Amino acid sequence: MLIERRALQVELPVLSGMGTVELSETLASLGFPVDAVESKDDQTVLEVDITANRGDALSHRGMARDLAARLNSELAPLFHVPLQEGAALFPVRLESEACPCYATALLDLGGHGSTPKEVVAFLSSMGSTAKHLPAVDASNELLHRYGHPTHAFDFDTLQGAVIVRWAKAGETLRTLDGVDRKLTGEDLVIADERGPIALAGVMGGDATKVTAGSKRVLLESAYFDPRVVRRMAHRHGLHSDASHRFGRGADPAMAPVARDLLAARLQAWEGAVLKGAWLAGALPAAPQPVSLRGATLNRIAGETLDLGEAKALLTRLGCQVEIRENALEVRRPSWRHDLSLEEDFAEEVLRLRGFDLIPSALPPLEGSPLPLSASYLQARNVARRLAHAGFHQTVTLGFISPEADAPFAEGNAAEGRTLGNPLGREYSVMRASLLPSLQAVAEANVRQGAREVKLFEIGPAYRSTSQGPQEEPVVALLWAGQVGGEDFLTKARPVQAADLLGVAKDLGAANPNPVKELAPGLLALEMPLAALPQIEDRIIPRFAPFSRFPAVERDLSLLVDLDQSYGALVEATEKALREAAGAVFQSVGCVDVFRHKSLPTGRQAWLLRLRFQAMDRTLTSEEVDGWVRQALEAAQGLGAELRA
Amino acid sequence: MDLTLIPADVAKAHQAFASALAAAADLDALMRLKGEYVGREGSHAAGLMDLLKTAPKEQKRELGAAINGLKNAWEEGLKARQVELEAAKKRAASLASQWDPDLPPPLPARGAQHPLNRLMDRLVDVFRPLGYHVEEGPETETEAHNFDGLNIPEDHPARGSADTFYFQEHSGQLLRTHTSPVQVRVLKRLAPRIQELGGIRFLAPGRVYRKDEIDPTHSPMFHQVEGMLVGHGIGMHHLKGTLSYAMKALFGPGAEVRFRPSYFPFVEPGAEVDVRCPLCGGAGCRVCKGSGWVEILGAGLVHPNVLSYAGIDPTEWSGFAFGMGVERTAMMVSQTPDLRLFFENDQRFLKAMGGLD
Ligand SMILES: [Zn+2]
Repeated sequence: MLIERRALQVELPVLSGMGTVELSETLASLGFPVDAVESKDDQTVLEVDITANRGDALSHRGMARDLAARLNSELAPLFHVPLQEGAALFPVRLESEACPCYATALLDLGGHGSTPKEVVAFLSSMGSTAKHLPAVDASNELLHRYGHPTHAFDFDTLQGAVIVRWAKAGETLRTLDGVDRKLTGEDLVIADERGPIALAGVMGGDATKVTAGSKRVLLESAYFDPRVVRRMAHRHGLHSDASHRFGRGADPAMAPVARDLLAARLQAWEGAVLKGAWLAGALPAAPQPVSLRGATLNRIAGETLDLGEAKALLTRLGCQVEIRENALEVRRPSWRHDLSLEEDFAEEVLRLRGFDLIPSALPPLEGSPLPLSASYLQARNVARRLAHAGFHQTVTLGFISPEADAPFAEGNAAEGRTLGNPLGREYSVMRASLLPSLQAVAEANVRQGAREVKLFEIGPAYRSTSQGPQEEPVVALLWAGQVGGEDFLTKARPVQAADLLGVAKDLGAANPNPVKELAPGLLALEMPLAALPQIEDRIIPRFAPFSRFPAVERDLSLLVDLDQSYGALVEATEKALREAAGAVFQSVGCVDVFRHKSLPTGRQAWLLRLRFQAMDRTLTSEEVDGWVRQALEAAQGLGAELRA
Repeated sequence: MDLTLIPADVAKAHQAFASALAAAADLDALMRLKGEYVGREGSHAAGLMDLLKTAPKEQKRELGAAINGLKNAWEEGLKARQVELEAAKKRAASLASQWDPDLPPPLPARGAQHPLNRLMDRLVDVFRPLGYHVEEGPETETEAHNFDGLNIPEDHPARGSADTFYFQEHSGQLLRTHTSPVQVRVLKRLAPRIQELGGIRFLAPGRVYRKDEIDPTHSPMFHQVEGMLVGHGIGMHHLKGTLSYAMKALFGPGAEVRFRPSYFPFVEPGAEVDVRCPLCGGAGCRVCKGSGWVEILGAGLVHPNVLSYAGIDPTEWSGFAFGMGVERTAMMVSQTPDLRLFFENDQRFLKAMGGLD
């Protein structure tokens, strides 16, 4: 909200002795941070941030009230001569509880006079242009100065009565901004006998507005239910100065006062003649008192506070306070809708004292801490291991385009993962896989000249279910480009699928998902974190005896077809070796693949390494030779032959 | 040496011997030279021996002495050169298996954790000694968890589709707009055991979504770290003590905190928390806009309605909660000029800003 320094000082004279920096700091310490200070013409204007709960502070008077309480100073008296409430000169009927009181007055406009130039300047400081229609400009000035929105109707356009009621479906209203609005039963309107003439607390109607030709005005200064106004403003996308203030809670007691001030301005500025003032409905009853217990106040404050001091502080804010034993009975002022619990009043005491005075202490540890969860530790460890293995962790948006998503979403309907109000089509689907995002990042890195791209991301992949989107934490890996070639010992070569598979196996994946080639040379793999081992409950696993006798390794060089299945070959040799050597057989694995034109056409050479070890003896070469023969026979059964 | 009796071609060869010896670059060349001068057959020495056999008797002595002189000179020359060449060969062999230690060594592959993840991990480490564990919640939330349980009124603007992403087919489900729904989930889950546990304290780092266009300071997805503590007699001083400790642990002993009143529906009282600018130490700089303070957290005492909603008696239990914007803090600490750099994932940025633990 914009605050003109001079106008603020009018409300609180003590501010004349305070510099703008100190004023800004004081406001911030009260919970009103100053976002900017600007000099406009000869005026200093502060842009102050007001939190949503403080509708009462949305004016110069409101802000001055908090400052006066903090500085323990007096507000300037309001220049206000209360009008005599008389008989209604025109019927005003309140048909909804959302409008408990409606203060009004009827005036003949003088028509000879205009908005004073200091008010024009003030409105300009508020970022608003004077209309040079006193009824409009005075209403606008009052709103910024005192916070209570008012309105003036051209009385000669009204028919029969002013009625505050719920709109009927199908009714329409052209508001002051020239927009024709369709109304519903949830819209509170001011109507005359022909139909709606204003959206209550939001905006007046075009047909009844004051113009240069208006002869008589009917003033409106009412109180409307904040929730009703908020919903209407939201529904019609109409966030006016009035709806902003009524929506956050205006001061009902200000309704007659603002009317009086408005009438007085019209009398002074253009010689208007008051025909009468009257109030429809009644001001709401005074708020109920709340008990603020000393114990609650002391707990929140972190120290024992004197109830007398607390009473003095709350009184300065406009509360009515009685001390009752170890508690305060507090009645909030009519403008503070945000105060209802004892905690709210405790906060006010601390706020006025200054949050800087709150002491500092660590809370006692009452129970035992809970352990870090296995899933958190797992994700953290996987990230660290991958970073140490050369991968870069990425953070990408969870939503992607349906086109990017589709190739990774077989059997996973995009509709159930689609946002109803996305930023755009390219950000509309919660992704089934992290891989399309990683692909885009990889391609950007390649465009930037990276020789090797190694990426990973840990995050949720989405699946559509009848209950809604379900998340599964996954790790996605992408590797592309050249490996090695960066030093004198390691030769450069293109990344292979086997490289990525090795990383997955190293993380502990028993059966990693197959590696996908997202684009030529762009290799990727994704797997659920659940497929990786979790942190063991035991710090150290149960002891397993190991052999202290030497292990024997034998290499078997086999010629096999180029399309020989490695899995089938290993399965066959393992089976033979388990049968022959039992537990002595340890492992078989391929340690080299040789492909060369010197080999028979259609064949390649695999070097298998067989490993044997007994728990209780040193193996003899004769028995090992026998097992190796058995392995060879098994391999020969699949068409392999011993390479000479 | 008197070479008058020596044939002219051999004398010439002798004159050329020294340079031929020097020209023999390796042992093979030297062996060929040896054969040429002193070999058993066809060498200069063998020819001279034949000459000596047929020489007149009176010349034999003199010729013999001259031949011996030549042969000795040749053999000594050859031997010395052989020693030289053998030493050179041995040295080369030994050098061939050595590398200059100044050659750049092969380095283990070096990747990086994302700077945002590192900052969140660091916060977990900072709070762990105070007994906080980590809670995780889903990104897809219900209005009940994201708003209702946090005392956010039904007509609050944040609930609107201009601020919050909703799912198309499941209109009650949304992408959480803050990590605070984890408060609701954890409180509800632990409420039945709260007496036995002696309270609740946890940290909830995670990703959140708000309907903001992407620009240098906004992203529709970002990260928060939520912290919560519930116990007996918890007040603002406990919040201040805890955050003072944490900010000092994060930014160093000079990191004072300052509380300013603020408003969040799920806390009462509510505060914005500033920390003494870690970059200028409070003297004033571009990052703190000259004020010496940077806003880093929103916090407050847990609103009684939040405890009640989860089934915890607010007349017995009280607590505090705080939330930190991870990107904002990361940008402030690193002076990264543009938020989008964190989501662009250039490997050079990640290596420099995230790195390894
Ligand atoms: Zn600074």
